[in-house]
Amino acid sequence: MIPAALAIARVKFVLELRRREVIFAMLLFIAATIVIVHFALSGDTGAGSRAAAGMLWAAVVFTAVLGLLRTFAAEQEEGALDALLLAPIDRAAIWIGAALAQFGFLVVVEIVAVPVWWVLFFQAGGPSIGTVVVALLLANIGIALVGTLAAALALGARTRDVLLPVLVLPLVIPIVLAGVTATYGAFGEEVGGLRPLGFLALYDLVFVVLAWGTSEHLLGD
Amino acid sequence: MRSLGRLSTTIPLVLSTILIPLTVALAFWWTPEDFDQGLSQKIFYFHVPIALTSYVAFAFGAFSAAMYLWKRTEVWDLRSYVGVHAGTIWGTLVLLTGPIWAKASWGVWWNWGDRQINVFLILFLYYCAYFMLRFSLDEGERRRSASAVFALLGVGLIPLSFLAVRIAQTLIHPVVFTSGGAAMPNSFLLTFVVGFAGMLSLMVLLISTEMRGKRTAARVLQLQRVARGEDA
Repeated sequence: MIPAALAIARVKFVLELRRREVIFAMLLFIAATIVIVHFALSGDTGAGSRAAAGMLWAAVVFTAVLGLLRTFAAEQEEGALDALLLAPIDRAAIWIGAALAQFGFLVVVEIVAVPVWWVLFFQAGGPSIGTVVVALLLANIGIALVGTLAAALALGARTRDVLLPVLVLPLVIPIVLAGVTATYGAFGEEVGGLRPLGFLALYDLVFVVLAWGTSEHLLGD
Repeated sequence: MRSLGRLSTTIPLVLSTILIPLTVALAFWWTPEDFDQGLSQKIFYFHVPIALTSYVAFAFGAFSAAMYLWKRTEVWDLRSYVGVHAGTIWGTLVLLTGPIWAKASWGVWWNWGDRQINVFLILFLYYCAYFMLRFSLDEGERRRSASAVFALLGVGLIPLSFLAVRIAQTLIHPVVFTSGGAAMPNSFLLTFVVGFAGMLSLMVLLISTEMRGKRTAARVLQLQRVARGEDA
C-alpha cells in the first residue's frame, strides 16, 4: 500500500512540475492573504504580536484550502479515478497518496512564505522559530489529512468548489487554535509549553485512524 | 410494527407535554433564586438541557452513520440525517439561549473565553456543512456513504475541539458539575433533571415524527411509480 501511495504522490508532483497549476497560485494567495490581514488589522501586527502569529495561521489554512480545490481534479478530468479505483491497490493508498502530495505542496509554499513572514514581522532577534516549524509540520499533516478526506467526500458534488472550504474550515479550527498557541509560546509567552505541539500530533493521529477506518467508503464505487 | 411506530411518537408527545411545562413551573415557583445570578439563572434549566440534548442528537446521528456503513440499509442513513438535522435545530436554540444567559450574567452577548459555547460553535459550523454536502450530491449510494463518513468524523472533532479550546484559553465558564458530583442544591438538580428529560422526549418526538414523514414520502414516491406502471 505504501508503494502505491508514494507512486500516486509522485504522479501529482510530476504533474505539478509540468503544469505549475497549484503551488504558484498558493504562493501568490498566501502573500495576498498576509498583506490583507496586515492591512485589515491596520498595523496591529507589530513584531512578535499575537496578531502576527494569527496572521500566519489564517494565511496557511486558507492557502491550504485553495490547494485542496485541485486535489483529485486531474484524476476526475481524465477519468483516471475510475482506473485507480479498479486498480488492485488498497483504497486507502489513493487518499494517502493525495494527502502526501498536499503535504508536500504546503511545505514548499511554507519554505518560501514563512521566512518572508519572519523577516517582515520579527526583524532581528525574534522568538524561537524551531517551535513554529514543528507546529507547522504537524499542522500540515493534519490539514492535508482532513482536507483530502473532505475533497474525497465532495467528489461528484454539484457544487464541489464552494462545498470544500465549508467542509474543511470547521475541521481545522482546532489546528489553528493549537498552532497559534504554539506560536505564542515561541514568542516567549507562557502558554502551556509543549502541550500545543502534543495536541497537533494527537489531532493527526485521531484523523489518521478515522480516515483509515472509513477509507473504503470514501471514494465511491 | 405500525402500532410500535405510533407509540414512538405518542409516548414522547405525552412526556414532553407534561415535562416541559413542569420544568417552567418548577424553575419559577419551586427552586429558590440563585444567590449569585438571581433570576437570570433560571435559563440554566433550559439552556443546558437543550445543549445536552443537542449533543445526544448529534451522537445519534453519528451512531446511525456508523450503523449505515456497517449494515448498508437505507433506514440507518435516514436516521443519521434526521439525527443531525434535529441536532442542528437544537444547536440553533443553544446558540440563541447561550448569549441571553451570557449577557445577563457576564454582561456580554458572547464570551470568547468560554469553553463550552466555543466548542459548540465549532461543532455547529461543522454539522451545518453536513447539509451542504448531502444536498449537493445526487441521491444514491455515494451520497449516503459520504454523509455517513462526514457525520462520523464529527465524533473525532468534538473531543479535539474541547482539548484545543482548553489549551488555547483560560477557564472562565462556571463549573456546575464537578467530579465530586453536582455543585448545586437538590431542588436545582431535580428541576434540571426534569428539564433534561422533557427536552429529551421532545427530541425523540421530533426525530420519530421526521422519520415517519420521510418514510411516508418514500412510500408515496414508490406508489406513484407503481401507479404510472414504471415498476411493481
